[in-house]
Amino acid sequence: MVIAAAALAFAVAFAPPAASRRALLVRGGAGLAGSAAIAAVPTLDIALLVLLVLGAMQAVVAGTRSFAVRLRPPLIAVAMLALGLLLVRVEAPDLVARFGAVGLVAGMAAAVGVLPYLHPIESDEALTASPVAWLGFIGPVLAVVVVVRAQGLLHTDAGGAFGGMLVGLGLLNMAWGGVAAWRTADEVAAWRYSFVADWGLVLCGFGLTVADGQRAALLVLVGVVAGRLPLYLISRQAIREKTITRRPINLVVAAALAGSAPFVGFGARILLLRASTQIYWPLALVLAVVMLLWLPGSLRLGRSLGQPRGRQALGVALILAVNVAAGLYPLPLLAAARL
Amino acid sequence: MIQPAAGILVWLGASLVVVGDGRRGLAAGIALSTLGLAVLAFVTAGAVAGAAIAVGGAIAASRRSLIGPGGWEILAPGSTPRLVLCIATALVAFWIADAVTSGPVASLRFGLITGIALSAARVLSTAEPAAQLSAVAIVALCAASVGAIGSTEPGVWPYVVGGLVAALLGWLPMRSPIAA
Repeated sequence: MVIAAAALAFAVAFAPPAASRRALLVRGGAGLAGSAAIAAVPTLDIALLVLLVLGAMQAVVAGTRSFAVRLRPPLIAVAMLALGLLLVRVEAPDLVARFGAVGLVAGMAAAVGVLPYLHPIESDEALTASPVAWLGFIGPVLAVVVVVRAQGLLHTDAGGAFGGMLVGLGLLNMAWGGVAAWRTADEVAAWRYSFVADWGLVLCGFGLTVADGQRAALLVLVGVVAGRLPLYLISRQAIREKTITRRPINLVVAAALAGSAPFVGFGARILLLRASTQIYWPLALVLAVVMLLWLPGSLRLGRSLGQPRGRQALGVALILAVNVAAGLYPLPLLAAARL
Repeated sequence: MIQPAAGILVWLGASLVVVGDGRRGLAAGIALSTLGLAVLAFVTAGAVAGAAIAVGGAIAASRRSLIGPGGWEILAPGSTPRLVLCIATALVAFWIADAVTSGPVASLRFGLITGIALSAARVLSTAEPAAQLSAVAIVALCAASVGAIGSTEPGVWPYVVGGLVAALLGWLPMRSPIAA
């Protein structure tokens, strides 16, 4: 929550000139309040209702997609999560609880906007009205709440199925997001797919039920909220102007996005490989190969940042510094999350 | 007999929202589902929970009766697949609630499965905001009642929040998309 609040403050302070700071502050503040409510409420049932309100409020925000299209993902998410909770709690054979786990995973994916439910995206839509708000701002808090609360509800058998599905879905999102961020024609869509790929790492980390997996997921989420989201915000102006540059700063940003050392993504990847080795070592091989897909997409996204000047250059420097600090010394973050 | 009747009312209300397009039909659907869920909440969680669902649903239904396409518009031409969906959902939900799962309040399980599944289907199949928000209201009331499954004391807060959400969502302004 603290990192999300800092990301919002950053977005308001370093927003491109064309963006409305006041609208960003009001809508981002509403999203932050909703995320805080999701994290603070005592039960997952109430969290679902908060999610429903947040989704409906975002659907009302003026955007290029219709109200109906924007209302669908959160509603489907709440419906899937509610059915999942029902099947998990009911007295029934283990198979039913496994179906409940399917509902929980599918609902979380629909809420965040990753495969198998990618939200429709429009290039010209404001950040607060676009699916990226779910991928980079509300989604991280929601996913942590759903996973932590669900693990407390699921029995051993359904818990294993839950973890397995998260790992499978994570691999799918990593591969799909990595390739699509590289190959898609639209720059905004490429950024969105890069979020999806990062979410693949997060889902894998959550699915690997060892401490290193959870740590990796947390660090990737930090990288999403404190790195990818603000960089995407800064890049929007260059994308609108179709500016592509190949300067050293673009290379450094690409390295940060690709999760290379010493940025926070590197530590997360190492932890994820270690966790997968502990559980099933061939998975580590698959993960290592899939992780290479970040490279071409990140080079492309780094170039799409253009050449930041003035306030935006300061913003990029700040983002890179925070990501390096979190990469070199992640212990305070992990300790704060009790991992 | 009251609980099975309440479960059937939830299904009937959600089905009305699925096959209805006019504001009166949608409002009647919300009202029927609300009545069923309020009775089931009263049975499982007490009077306060039942009252919270009833008040929230009543506000949502009354709001819907004022806003949206005019008339009842129930089973308009071309709605046969929706009717089949309602019946099929009821059959599958009945099988799950009665045969696959066990424990008290099978009617609640039946009502929740049909209410959530039909409302989600309605949201996916229409672009009409009035129908979508009617389905959202039912999902909110159902999600609030899920806590009663497998819990001896679910507490009243989910019901209060669910009623509040159902009541408030009907007041949302629905904007047209801005051209890019």
